[in-house]
Amino acid sequence: MELKYGLISADSHAAFDRDDFTSRMSTKKWGDKVPQVIEFEKDGELLEGWSLYGTKPGVKKGFQATVCNCPALMGDPFPHWPKRWEEVPKLAYDPAERLKALDIDRVDAEVLFPNPPGGTYYQFGDAEFELETLQAYNDILADWTKISDRYLPLISIPYLQPPKVIAQEIQRSVENGHRGINLAGKTPEGLPHLADPHWYPLWEVCSSLKVPIHFHGSAGIGVGETAKSWDGYTERQAHSASTSTSATTPAHLVPQLIFTGVTERFPDLMIVFAEAGIGGLNYLINSCDHVWESHHLWTEGLHTRPSEIINRQMYVNFWFEEEGIKLRHNIGINNIMWEADFPHVASYYPGSWDSIERVLDGVPEDERRKLLFENAIRVYQIDVDTIAA
Amino acid sequence: MASGFISVDDHVQEPPHLWTSRLSKDKWGNRIPHIERTGDVGEHWVANGQVLNGGSVANVGALMADRNELPKFWDEVPEAAYVPERRLQAMDTAGVDYTVLYPTVAGMAGEAFGSFDDPKLEIACVQAYNDWLIEEWAAVSDRFIPQCIVPISSPEATVAEIRRAVAKGHKGVVFPALPMDLAEVPHVAEPIYDPVWAVCEELGVPLCLHAGSSPTLQYERYLDLAPKLATALSTVAKPVASVYVLGLYLFSRILLRHPNLKVVLAESALSWGLLFLEWADHQADHDGLAKEGYDLTPSQMFHRQCYFTSWFDEIAPFADYIHTENILWSSNFPLATSTWPGTQKTIERCVQGLSEQGREQVLWSNAAALYRI
Repeated sequence: MELKYGLISADSHAAFDRDDFTSRMSTKKWGDKVPQVIEFEKDGELLEGWSLYGTKPGVKKGFQATVCNCPALMGDPFPHWPKRWEEVPKLAYDPAERLKALDIDRVDAEVLFPNPPGGTYYQFGDAEFELETLQAYNDILADWTKISDRYLPLISIPYLQPPKVIAQEIQRSVENGHRGINLAGKTPEGLPHLADPHWYPLWEVCSSLKVPIHFHGSAGIGVGETAKSWDGYTERQAHSASTSTSATTPAHLVPQLIFTGVTERFPDLMIVFAEAGIGGLNYLINSCDHVWESHHLWTEGLHTRPSEIINRQMYVNFWFEEEGIKLRHNIGINNIMWEADFPHVASYYPGSWDSIERVLDGVPEDERRKLLFENAIRVYQIDVDTIAA
Repeated sequence: MASGFISVDDHVQEPPHLWTSRLSKDKWGNRIPHIERTGDVGEHWVANGQVLNGGSVANVGALMADRNELPKFWDEVPEAAYVPERRLQAMDTAGVDYTVLYPTVAGMAGEAFGSFDDPKLEIACVQAYNDWLIEEWAAVSDRFIPQCIVPISSPEATVAEIRRAVAKGHKGVVFPALPMDLAEVPHVAEPIYDPVWAVCEELGVPLCLHAGSSPTLQYERYLDLAPKLATALSTVAKPVASVYVLGLYLFSRILLRHPNLKVVLAESALSWGLLFLEWADHQADHDGLAKEGYDLTPSQMFHRQCYFTSWFDEIAPFADYIHTENILWSSNFPLATSTWPGTQKTIERCVQGLSEQGREQVLWSNAAALYRI
């Protein structure tokens, strides 16, 4: 069977219902620490937003400023964000309703990254809370797959647990319908570096289950903050300055994984970079090969040429790069997927196809198919029949 | 020109007595940059109580039998690193006609003295380097293109040293791109730095921002790694710092306000440039920056004023978008990542597919115009 539209988004964001966490977690045990929507006052205005771990409005740490990040669904003036829960469109957070949005944009399936209240709970230093909240998080999105196989959710992991427990949570969630894990580019303070053997059990379980790991956007690595955030910028300038430097994310992380031997040790581990552009692989292929050759790194146990590693196990997503697509064969025609970023500000919803026609102008049909859905079907082991049904 | 190649990013190795012979021992004592020995372990540079050059006595991987090794003691450092006459021979070996010089001990990006707590010691170290480079290198051969380093304690001090150094013969200004990461000084995007950009425009010297000036621009190190691999990793990671620097100089209006300022992103590489510039344009459009008085898109500012510098990427795939007018080439001598002595072979691979004009621009004519060679 063929896909209905021939388009899979490798990066979209699942929004959450206001009772998603309170209905799954014990409020008796956790009280107001359970993620929930509460009212707060800001500059004389009554707003609603997510409270995590009992953080009160005005407390920045752990408090999600917007109740739902969904400007693509909010209409004009673009972009704007809902201030209160009643403004949040059901199309964002109700999995049955959201299928309509997919049909409007003519998208067959979507990989689901987080939205407020987010997939990060280690910052409170409470390992038990982190685990139970993330089990709820992973269960919420597993429930989406019971509504439709068009949803391809990603696991958020409980960093503060021993790697064995994290691996169990990955195993459990994959059995429940998840298709990969989403990671922070920098591990939480006090825990070993991303390249450390401490994390090998994660790479083992992901390799054996054939589910990719993901780093999204700037992946929170915080590199270059002094250059990106200058307090003289206007809001627009600050957004441009910080967003466009997300281009560096793979360039920071890929060499870490290659030169520390992680990819040599885990050749079946798939690594996806979402919302970081595709052109960064040009640099990595050139520079890693140059260094590997000039430093004779095969003498250090790195037997595989870095460009072969990149080609074998790295994936990047495009949405706006016309120039980048012209270089698709340098990057690897089998290593590129499309992303919608729905319902975030970068999304072209409901006109995704218009942007695709512009960006893929002149690309032959067999290559279009790879970029728009065939590569995603392979990476996420998608059963076309269940989606098309 | 014999080979038709101006290498725009190479490093001099400062000799042991550069500063001790030029700074007053009575006045500065042990705070003067000098070499100290730790038993059989090796020698390293120390100044003002700080270890310089990452603890290495010299940064000369390309000249070592094993590129992953660095000399432990000064007397093991090959002369091509620090003796001008021997450097000219090394340039002949690799087909380099002219070489634009950056420091090593003073910081690969000229950043070493900016973190000193004493502006007087900072300026003394800076001036000693600048005088030495003119007297000991530029005087030997006009194939050496000297660039000054600068103090960052205040924009006035920076401007004064640029004027002094350019009058002595310096042809470019090596500026640590984010001085606020080195010392308690204003953010570099503040208009208080305008006189620095203005003096570069007035004197017609390029502002050269070399990768590696600031630790905040690098991903945290994985400590449990063999030295060879650690070096390889930082070599790949370093050029990425240029993305943040270029983004800042583009979006903060430094380039808009100073249309005649030329900015060289040294050791930037170029294959990430297409993604970043396309993204910067896309984002400027998406965020409506035109409504806030940007007459030019980021890529237009780049094409008017900036240069990428590479030594290993293939150029042709990116030439249509980045433009050969905005690309410079280097041998990156004598660092481990250098293409020396096979520089010409790498050049042949990298310029494949370029027009004769494009090839000339990248290999010498852009640099000749920029440095008035």
